[in-house]
Order: sequence, then C-alpha cells, then structure tokens
Amino acid sequence: MNARILMLAGALGGLVAPAAARAQSERLAGRLDDRTRAAVTALVDSARAAGLPADPLVNKALEGASKGADGARIAAAVRALAGDLTRTRAVLGRTATEAELVAGAAALRAGATPAFLERLRADYPREPLVVPLAVMADLVARGVPADTAVRSVLALVRTGMREAELVAFRQSVERDVALGAPAGAAAAVRVNAAERDFANTATGQQPPSAPPRPRKP
Amino acid sequence: MHGTADDPLIARIAAELRRPVPLRPDFDARVMAAVRRAIPSLPVRAWTWLREPRVVAVSPLGGLAMAAGLAGLLVVGTISRKPSAISRQQSAVSRQPSAVSRQQAAVGRQPSAVGAGAAASVTFVLVAPQARSVALAGDFNDWDAARVLMRREASGLWTVDVPLAPGRYRYVFVVDGRRFVADPAAPRAVGDDFGTPTSVVTVGGGALRAAGGSL
Amino acid sequence: MVEDGSDGVLVRRVLDGDTEAFSGLVARHRERGIRFATAMLGDVADAEEAVQDAFVRAYRSLRTCRESERFGAWFLRILVNRCRTRGAMRRRSERVFVHDEAALERAAARPAGNTEWREEIDRALARLDALQREAFLLKHVEGLEYEEMARLTGARIPALKMRVKRACDHLRVLLQEVDDARNR
Repeated sequence: MNARILMLAGALGGLVAPAAARAQSERLAGRLDDRTRAAVTALVDSARAAGLPADPLVNKALEGASKGADGARIAAAVRALAGDLTRTRAVLGRTATEAELVAGAAALRAGATPAFLERLRADYPREPLVVPLAVMADLVARGVPADTAVRSVLALVRTGMREAELVAFRQSVERDVALGAPAGAAAAVRVNAAERDFANTATGQQPPSAPPRPRKP
Repeated sequence: MHGTADDPLIARIAAELRRPVPLRPDFDARVMAAVRRAIPSLPVRAWTWLREPRVVAVSPLGGLAMAAGLAGLLVVGTISRKPSAISRQQSAVSRQPSAVSRQQAAVGRQPSAVGAGAAASVTFVLVAPQARSVALAGDFNDWDAARVLMRREASGLWTVDVPLAPGRYRYVFVVDGRRFVADPAAPRAVGDDFGTPTSVVTVGGGALRAAGGSL
Repeated sequence: MVEDGSDGVLVRRVLDGDTEAFSGLVARHRERGIRFATAMLGDVADAEEAVQDAFVRAYRSLRTCRESERFGAWFLRILVNRCRTRGAMRRRSERVFVHDEAALERAAARPAGNTEWREEIDRALARLDALQREAFLLKHVEGLEYEEMARLTGARIPALKMRVKRACDHLRVLLQEVDDARNR
C-alpha cells in the first residue's frame, strides 16, 4: 500500500475521530471512575489511531465495570485486548472486519498461532472468518487442546464445511464431552470421521461394509 | 407359490437389477446438509424440541438442565445409559438450581445470501423459576444489566430476543440484579479477564469480501 | 464413516441429539435405496432425489421408528412412498434433457457390456403397472418375504402375490427374446 493512501486514511481517520471519540466517552461516562475512564480513553484513542476498532475495547471496559472489577484490572484487560486485536490485524490485514478481529483475538487468546489465522485466510480468501475462528476458541473453552482445535478447524474447512457445519461439529464435541469423553479425543475422532466421509464421497468409493440384506421376519 | 422363484430369466433380470448404481460423489454430503437443516417433527423428548439443527442450539447439558428446571427430576433415567454422566450434570445443575438456559443463534446461512451487517434475531432463554428478575448483559448492550430485562413465561422460563449483526459477543445473565450467571448451554469465553465465567454467542453470515481485497 | 455401531445404536444416538450419527445410517442404506429407486423410477437423478428426500423424512420422524434395529426396513417403507409420490407426479414420456456432468459421468462409468441388457430391462419395467413393478422389485430384487412386503406397502399378501406374478409374466413376454439373443 503506498504512502499516499496511508496518509489519506490517516487524515480521514482524523476527521472522523472527534465524533467517534465523543460517542465512546459517553458510553464510558457514569460507568467508570474518572481515573479509570481517563486511562481507558487514552488506550482506546491510541488504538484507534493505529487503525483498530474502538468498540471491542470499550465493550471490554464496560464488561469490567459491570462485573465490579477495579480500575487497574479493567485497564489491563483493555490493553491486552488491544494487543490481541493488533496481532490479529497484522495477519488478517486491513480488510478484516471488526467481527473478524474480535474472533481472531479470541482465537489467539485461546492459543492459536498467527499461522492459523494466515492459513484460514488463505483457505477462505473471500468469506468471513468469524465462525471458524470462533469455533476454534469455543473448542478450546470446552477442553480441546489448542493445537488440536486448530488442526480440527483447518481440516474441516478443507472438507468444505462452512458455518453451520462447523458449529454442528463444535456441538457434537460438546455433547461427547458432556457424556464423558476427553475433549481432544472427541474432536480428533470426529474430524477423522468427517475426513473419511469427505474422501469417500469425493472419490465415489463405497464404504467397506455393504448394506445388510433384509432379514427374514 | 408360483414357480417364478425358479425361473432363470427372472433370476437373471433380478441379478442385473441388483447391481450397484453409482451415486453422485457428493450424495452423502447433500443428504447430511439437508438433514442438518431439517427440523425434527413430533417433539417428544424435552431436549430434542429445543434443538433446531439449522441454528446453533443448546448442548445436551443445557437441554438436560432445561428439562430438569422445567419438570424437576424428569431427566433421570430417560436420557442416557451413563449414570455417572447424568449425576455429574445433575450436580452441575443443583449447584445453580435456577441457572439453566437455552441459547439460539442464527448461523450458517450462505454468506452470499446475507447482506453486510444483516442482523439475526438471537433468542436467549434462562430457566430460573425462583428469580424475581433476570437481565441480559453483554457486548451488544454496553453490559448494562438495567437495559435488557428478560420476560418471564410459564414454568419460570425467562426469554428475550436480541437482533445481532454477524460477530462474536460475550454475555452473562444477571439474576435478581446481582448474581452473574453464565449460560451453561453456551460456549465459554476463553480466559476471562475479570475472574467470572462468561458466555459467548457467535452469529455467522457476514458479507463476502470483494475480490482483490482492496482498502 | 461414522459406522461405529448397529442401526439400533446409531438411531439411539441420533435421538439423543447426535445428528452426525445419522450419516452412518445414510452410508449403510443408501445403496440399496438408490438401487430400488432407480429401478422403480427409471432415472438415476430422480432416484437420488427420492432417496435424499426419504432420508430427510426418516431423520425428521426418527422417533416413530418402532424398532431401531430395523431401521432399514422402516427406511425402505418411507422410500417406497416417496417413489410412489414421484411416480404419480412424473410422466415417463416427458424427460427434460439437462446438461448434467454427474449424469454423464455416471453413464460413462456403467460397464459397457451390460448397458443394453440393463436398458432393455428398464424399458420393460417402465411398461409395467407401477404397483406390479414395485412388488416385483421388493420380492425379487430386494428379496423381501411377503409378510414384510405387506407391512411395508399396506397391501394384502394375496394381492401382492398376484402383482408379482403378473409382473413376472409381463417381463417374461417383453424380455425373453432379448435374453435369448444375449445367450446365443
């Protein structure tokens, strides 16, 4: 991207800033004490200057306020999220939507590497990444090790699974875990089944066992 | 009986008709895609009527808990053949006797069919018969527990519909204005910053990006 | 394949909420389904739609499947009904030719040696009364006993026997010459 476009974007950002900044501080008013509000506002402003979306950061501060956390903890959480969003955007690029950045930040927080995000973007160049990123994080939350969750999502995407099917996969793993299966094993088993399924249908091969002949009544 | 069973011509015809017919390669995938979209009719078991395969639906944990919340001990003996799993779930339920819930979100419509930022209506449900009030606080409403009060229906079921654009949202239920309750049926947020369990809902269906991905 | 279990096990898993387990049932019963539906309807594409439709209906009403170990028989009944509906809607003489890669590939995949014989059989089957064709296929191709067929179709056994007999007589008339020529 050439310097002229960057400068123009910066200038536009500068023009928009005052109204947006006012909206943000209105959201924070009355929810945070003055000191915390100042700290958070400063963090949000510099994030916006760097091209990050402000809403997720404000949401994080409000979450902390709602839960009665102290100011230092709120500021730390906002700072950490800003870092995650920055790293996400470094991989997904400036065309990433706010929703993708938030989901990407969650995936990174769950233990995904930037390579995972890169791979997803390469596999899904035009489609929104919110759901595959979210499913990865959700699997980790259920106890699937991060690298297994990453491998699972990438493998499933390769079999052509998209949003509803990825979510259905995550639900299946959750059910398995609820019934006592170790999360990593449950994910691995289901991914293998999906991959075999995909390989068989793609090549038109018949499964090993023939359908049973009708039994005599 | 007819003698047709011994007829060699009939036998030859039948043998030819028994040869396998090649199926289109994506047959299984198409069937399963249609199955996942289908809504089972004739709801009989409590948790299956909560499930709508075309949307993100409740996990069986939430379903069991929902059944328990609604009808006391309906759960026992009707669901699983693994008593240890049931008792684990039941003890999870009894720790938070009113904290059972159902979550639905719209996911998986083809991205091209959904315009950028098109909102889906997400229904949040909590079974909390003892509660006097239940609110919803999350990323979508400034975490303001005073704003989204849920509506109480029969049997202690609290519900609210929230329009959400595609994205990932953290939230909790706030019971009686002071108790933060995560959604046992929903995925958890990973690594909560504030030490309390938080739930997540993901809405899919964002817009396709333009080819070339320009600024 | 998610084929870890008998039909009964898979049905119970689906009813417990594991939708994906249904794919095991699909894998196990699709070939017999497509075999019957193709012979019944005379067209593979139609047959695929009928079988897919039958599977979806089976999924939706799975809890009405009385004996989960006999999913196959129960599914066949659903499929028989789907084929009846389609047959009634469709008139065989009206075929619309569609450019369909999958269909072309399938046609190419069929072993050349038997194509004509199979085509002759299909033509002959098409000329049978639908109920006779159905009864013939269930008895002689799917190998069902008359009791099973009666449960499946709702017809009485004497009527079914008569349909099978008439179907065989008619097929014999239509195909004896062709068969003789093949065997010469």
